[in-house]
Amino acid sequence: MPLYICNSSRGTLDAVAKERIANAITDIHCSVTGAPASFVHAVFFEEAPHIPLGDKTLAVRGTIRKGRSDAQKQKIADAIRSALVEHGDVATGQADAHIQETPASWVLEGGEIMPEPGEEAEWFAAQEARRKAQGV
Amino acid sequence: MINCTCVVQEGQSPDQNRGHIEDVLNSFASDSFRETTRIAWLQVAPGNGFTAGKPSTSSVVSMTANEPLSPERRETLLRKLVSLWTESTGSTVDEIVAVIADPN
Repeated sequence: MPLYICNSSRGTLDAVAKERIANAITDIHCSVTGAPASFVHAVFFEEAPHIPLGDKTLAVRGTIRKGRSDAQKQKIADAIRSALVEHGDVATGQADAHIQETPASWVLEGGEIMPEPGEEAEWFAAQEARRKAQGV
Repeated sequence: MINCTCVVQEGQSPDQNRGHIEDVLNSFASDSFRETTRIAWLQVAPGNGFTAGKPSTSSVVSMTANEPLSPERRETLLRKLVSLWTESTGSTVDEIVAVIADPN
């Protein structure tokens, strides 16, 4: 978590564009929130019914940990929209991005309950301890 | 009815194993929430899943509970769900993101 799901019209994005958008989403999320890149997941679908495109060509729905400010969420959405226009080669207005939140305590990732925003260092320390205990 | 969404990387969990995984998820929901499950599969095609900008091997399994859960009960259920998932799919705990949400 976060999980960013991108939906597009068929044939809109090639493999290079998807990789660039995934990297852009990762960079944007990390630069705005300070979260580690290893938390950021991005998946791509075409004509997926669960992310309605409406009158858009590209749409991203991001589910992030609860606790970010409205300004941070707006900044993420705006920057992702710009990245979709740039890397997806679509007109401004054809790309949409929406951010929703989930409490960190509802999510288990890497074998641990996700940390609250800002508590990542302790989380990684707990993960490291678990791996050592398991001899991984 | 418990809604469950599974986002899986194509090829990671063979299609022929899907029935078994559904049985496991149904049993989990029945034991945990006393309800049946509606499972939706979202298969991510090769080259379409990324973690940290690199090709991903992660799956996401997300359920919505039928009542608000205490932190202790949620963590217990999440750990059980992850354990069942890794046993059923052969993936590691580092390849699964599990979510159990409260109802809206």
